[in-house]
Amino acid sequence: MTAASPAQSRPRQRGAAALVRHARRYWQLWVMAAPAIAFVAVFAYVPMYGLQLAFREFDFSAGLTGGEFVGLKYFQQFFDSPQFWTLIRNTVVISLTTLVAGFVAPIALALIVNQVVGRTRKKFLQTATYLPHFISIVVIVGMLQVFLSPSSGLITRVAEFFGVTGVNFLGSSTFVSVYVISEVWQHCGWNSIIYLAALASVDTQLYEAARIDGAGRFTIIRHIDVPALVPTMIVLLILNMGNVLNTGFEKIFLMQNPLNLGVSEVIATYVYKIGILSNQFSYGTAIGLFNTLINFTFLVVTNQVAKRVSNTSLW
Amino acid sequence: MSRAGQFRRRAVPALAALTVGALALAACSGGGDGDGDGGGGGGDGTLQILALKHPLTGAMADMAWVGQIEEAAGVTIEWEEVSADWDQKKPTMLAAGDIPDLIVGTNAITNGDLATFNGLFEDLSDDLESLPNVTGMFEAVPATESMATQPEGEIFSLPSYRRFWPETGTRQFINQQWLDNLGLEQPTTWDELHEVLLAFKTQDANGNGDPNDEIPMDWAPVGETGFGLFQPTVLLGSMGMPISDGGGAGYFVEDGEVKNFLIDERYRDLIAFLHELYADGLISQDVMTQDYSAYQSVARGEGDTARVGFTWGWAGSDRVGAQLVGQYSALPPLRADESMSEADLTWSYDSYMLNYGVNSITMSAQSDNKEAALAVINAFYDQDISLEVLWGDFDENITKVDDTSYEVLPPTDETVDPSTWKWTTTLADNGPGWIRDDIDVVLPSDLAEAVEQSQPLEAAIANVDPDADIFPGQLIKMSQEDLNTISINNTAVFTIAMQRWATWITEGGVESGWDGYVAEVGGSGLAQNIEIHQSYYDEFSSSQG
Repeated sequence: MTAASPAQSRPRQRGAAALVRHARRYWQLWVMAAPAIAFVAVFAYVPMYGLQLAFREFDFSAGLTGGEFVGLKYFQQFFDSPQFWTLIRNTVVISLTTLVAGFVAPIALALIVNQVVGRTRKKFLQTATYLPHFISIVVIVGMLQVFLSPSSGLITRVAEFFGVTGVNFLGSSTFVSVYVISEVWQHCGWNSIIYLAALASVDTQLYEAARIDGAGRFTIIRHIDVPALVPTMIVLLILNMGNVLNTGFEKIFLMQNPLNLGVSEVIATYVYKIGILSNQFSYGTAIGLFNTLINFTFLVVTNQVAKRVSNTSLW
Repeated sequence: MSRAGQFRRRAVPALAALTVGALALAACSGGGDGDGDGGGGGGDGTLQILALKHPLTGAMADMAWVGQIEEAAGVTIEWEEVSADWDQKKPTMLAAGDIPDLIVGTNAITNGDLATFNGLFEDLSDDLESLPNVTGMFEAVPATESMATQPEGEIFSLPSYRRFWPETGTRQFINQQWLDNLGLEQPTTWDELHEVLLAFKTQDANGNGDPNDEIPMDWAPVGETGFGLFQPTVLLGSMGMPISDGGGAGYFVEDGEVKNFLIDERYRDLIAFLHELYADGLISQDVMTQDYSAYQSVARGEGDTARVGFTWGWAGSDRVGAQLVGQYSALPPLRADESMSEADLTWSYDSYMLNYGVNSITMSAQSDNKEAALAVINAFYDQDISLEVLWGDFDENITKVDDTSYEVLPPTDETVDPSTWKWTTTLADNGPGWIRDDIDVVLPSDLAEAVEQSQPLEAAIANVDPDADIFPGQLIKMSQEDLNTISINNTAVFTIAMQRWATWITEGGVESGWDGYVAEVGGSGLAQNIEIHQSYYDEFSSSQG
């Protein structure tokens, strides 16, 4: 935000005088940003004091901050848990697959939509692909259960027609693919909007010049469209890496059944079952904090790598 | 440019910004106000009660017995009615310490909550003199006192006693008309069941011309945290294993030793048998993934054409619908094989779960209208009000014949079945109450039907000795630390166990995978859980003398 670097263009003034000058000049901007700042402070920073619960034994009568300090006991408990490696493996498999597929698909879709000739057709394709984004998760999971039912599901029947029989698509062997494909299908159109915007800003002279030089459609995509998207791609990739261990809790939780539990139990659902449903707030907080630290590390590392490699980064 | 113009140019964005800010703040504080006054009640003759309701249940204000309770206690009750997502609302509510004067609903507050949120709930053990109805229940039905009393003697929450419910929740049904159509006898062993189901599968048992639309066998969806009613765990009784509450987390007692059927070879044999059935296409293909409403609706068939041959349910009319119930018979327990004597058969013993509702009313320790809250609790356990809470208001739903005899009336809306009716008119099984053992009640037809359809199972249920064969989870109170250990272990154990259960039945492999599985769940905490249960059981049985 411009308000954050006001004094750069003029000689630095000292302390209070600079502050007064700054406030006088930019106070409208600060007022406009105030609700957002207040929101982040109240809902993101203030609740952080609850993190200390991860190092304390939750004791209701003593309050959130009054429990006995137990250090890393709950982290140790999580690392020693027989569930630990299963959870990590499931979480990483599901989120990495979603991340990769969900990263590539919108780019491909944007490039395709961009090639469609005709305003109406383009609009139709774009609308048709982003509409699923607005279907609620519960409905999506309901649809999956109906379409994939082993006895009467539409998709199961179609698969049988092509000779794929005896597969329960709601079971463990196909859980990850069903999850990822439905996730990509639902959000691909929506996520491609930002790439379409980037493509729209490409100077049309470049296309004309390329065509005069004899470039075909694929050469134009490769040498004009893709390079134009790279900065957007990198920023989005860095942001996504910050969520690498955050799988979609609701969807996975709703899709769980006894058949696929071995591959569908992820950190988020485990925290819900342990932390919320069985009142183990300290243990749940510890696992959540661990999850956040891993995500934060990924975010920082990806950002530094992107900075070195391509000179694009968040900070 | 004039000064005024300059001023206007600056003022507009500033004003806009201020308005946005004010709106956002208003929205925040608006959200906060809604539940700000939840704790403790008004103190001016009003009492706040949170009631856990079935989604079908109407508004509390429409129930006449509410007025009787208000009159008996001399207060006005403000109801907070919860009929969905209680499990998610509860932890935050309790952790915030912001609870109404009373919380009503069977197991709405679990023993785990009572242990974790120590100090949030009123200890009623020193208030018993203002609760004569409750002390009366403790004397008449001693099990209710054990359910209520914590290890240190505190009473935080009171159970209900319903008396008339059958001793099991799961009844076994077979389509008699299909048997007759195909000229078959009722099966008595697993092998005979297998043959009958094969005949259902291969022939046109329902006679609609399509030999492939029959589902020979179906059961209720098994959750991820344990077994329950209407599930094939009742077949463990075919090998003489005593189970309770439909299986639950698997604990049972044999010769004073607490065991878990998840690692018992009889459970392995059951899975192997179910896999044989599944491999022959005799079990619904959706059995592992369907939800409860799909399981219910598929058995209703189409018109007079039934779809399901052999299944379990609460009562025939509830399981397959009023139109088809005539086609089905209640089937006695099956024997695993010929060598099994009929005298050794058992069936799931669920009386503690069905006839008692643990922790059905709980009082806040911060209530500023304690006397009124106690009076309300006492009123709930009144003879008449108990009946009304369970089945509905006098005149409309129950006729009071004289002081000790009552008759539950059929639904006034004829399109609704009696078991659904009771849930629409009152709190029903979610309410606290004490149904006296010395009164006469003409039962509603659904309960009478369930009792009648339990008859073929009675001998097997009688083989389960509730004192020696089952782990009395409802009567034993554990410490918070043990409860935490158990729940962490259970999450790990059931993640493995339920997935194996589902995979082994659908794909087979139980014989080769069994030893590895036993070691794996043992190491995931089942062994430790059994030890914990054993120590509490020993303590419990020695205290029982």
